[in-house]
Amino acid sequence: MQRFVSSAVLPACFIIVLGVLLAPGAARAEDKTVIQYDCIPNYANWGGVTALYKQVTGVTVPPDPKGSSVAMAALEKEKDNPVADCAYYSGAIGYQAAQKGLHQPYKPKGWEKIPDALKDPNGLWWTVHTGTIAFLVNTKALGGAPVPKSFADLLKPEYKGKIAYDDPTWGGTSFTFVYGLNELMGGTEKDFRPGLSYLRKLDANVSSYPRESIYNAVLRGEVPIWINADGNGYKMKHVDGGPVEVVIPSEGTFTMPLVMGLAKGAPHADETKRYFDWLLSPPAQAEFAKSFFRPVVAGTLPAELAAKFLPDADYGKARALDLSKMAAAADALKKAWLDEIRGTGR
Amino acid sequence: MWPLARLAAGAFSSSGAFLQVLSAGRYRTSLVNSLALSTAAAFVSVALALVPAWVFARERFPGRNLVRTAVSLPLTFSGVLVGFLVIVMLGRIGAVPKLAGLVTGREWFAGSAFTLTGLFLAYLYFEIPRAVMTLEAAFRHFPPELDAAARSLGAGPITRLLRVTLPYAAPALFSTLAVTFSASMGSFGVALVLSRRFTVAPLEIYTELTAFLNDAVAGALCVALAALTFGVDRLLARRAA
Repeated sequence: MQRFVSSAVLPACFIIVLGVLLAPGAARAEDKTVIQYDCIPNYANWGGVTALYKQVTGVTVPPDPKGSSVAMAALEKEKDNPVADCAYYSGAIGYQAAQKGLHQPYKPKGWEKIPDALKDPNGLWWTVHTGTIAFLVNTKALGGAPVPKSFADLLKPEYKGKIAYDDPTWGGTSFTFVYGLNELMGGTEKDFRPGLSYLRKLDANVSSYPRESIYNAVLRGEVPIWINADGNGYKMKHVDGGPVEVVIPSEGTFTMPLVMGLAKGAPHADETKRYFDWLLSPPAQAEFAKSFFRPVVAGTLPAELAAKFLPDADYGKARALDLSKMAAAADALKKAWLDEIRGTGR
Repeated sequence: MWPLARLAAGAFSSSGAFLQVLSAGRYRTSLVNSLALSTAAAFVSVALALVPAWVFARERFPGRNLVRTAVSLPLTFSGVLVGFLVIVMLGRIGAVPKLAGLVTGREWFAGSAFTLTGLFLAYLYFEIPRAVMTLEAAFRHFPPELDAAARSLGAGPITRLLRVTLPYAAPALFSTLAVTFSASMGSFGVALVLSRRFTVAPLEIYTELTAFLNDAVAGALCVALAALTFGVDRLLARRAA
């Protein structure tokens, strides 16, 4: 019996698996594709948006797990031999990528509907939707502790091991948080001490600095408090039915434009331009809104979704950050964070 | 060889890169951490692998193949997957703390996935199978007459192990140490998922490349890591010979 298994069944299995692996690959080669760096299905509903696009046009936009910073580094690394057509970033990183000459200009259809502050006049980058940094709290996983209301609350010992924010050298959302926090605590784009001093204290309560999406970990309760974009929390609550509350910290918070740009030397440039045009159209903007990221095109946020956001009074505490200053400070702040927070401990 | 040459060229393209890597700070800490973690993982996994390797090599028992396959299974997992497994077991709501909570009333090890303990256990998880497989092959060649001769001369099991088996197996032990040590030094996925503040060299290389596109420092770190690994391997190979 055993000899039979190893001599016939195993090779047969191997061949079947190989066949299954190769078959769709052959079919896929004929499909049209747009390669987007940083296309995380659970972030801003990219999963739903790309599925809808596939349904409408037949064009595939495969998922991609890179965070903003990694996406920019990949574009730069592949400059001489581009693989990607476009990338999606949090604002400052997209701004920086454009500055580095990694993008080519394009003004998608609907350009005039994007507010001036949320696009590059030359079309090197533009906003597709915006988010706000917030606490996403799994109330069932807090172990009896109250829902934190402020940055000061997060330092309390009852939250030990219950907080996570992404490694800011990986993700742009978290970089926006770290930069904005420093400003909120009285720092500037040159002086990071106030922010880092807070983050050092916060470190006592932080369980991890993830370098992958922990959306599901928060939903499961593995991570009770995630400092991230508000939309991800609303989606956990309203779409996935999780016991999740979104909290705008009482000291204030920051808005974050999420931007895109056409990669220089994009292999499928024309296909990508059509994709960009569609992303600003009402159906695509409404699809983003399903993940509670605010559409950049006014009037495309469906009323029943708008009602599920926290009241405007809370959002009054959110300030916009200066993307050019953020981009200029990006490398130094990331290094300082690594030196002071990540690279030092046991 | 070409990628290696490119890497070294990157490392030497900026004169300060090696200085930066070897002077006190995050980079040197990561190299020291890698060295300490990999050495500990190598010794502990080889020690724990001795008995199963011996049993697999010498004994025939029902279900042997099944157990052997189960033991070697972690070798097929990528580091990132091992990292996620450790979170499932030792996370804040992991299986181990939940079970401990049911039995003892206290959730032992809750959240330890992201501590040094979790990282170390993850390394053991993929190093023990490697050590078992390597040692088993060596033990198979152990001539049973030696053991029988020692026994006929009146040596007890402990004496036989210390005076006959281990000295005979010493070269294999050293080369197994080298294999597990090198694999740990190069391991990246586990640390990518689990490292909170305890940083290791491969993770720093990744960060330098992805966050800063700093080829010089990343290259210098690669060369330093490779030199360390190679040096220790040579040392072990000499003991093995």
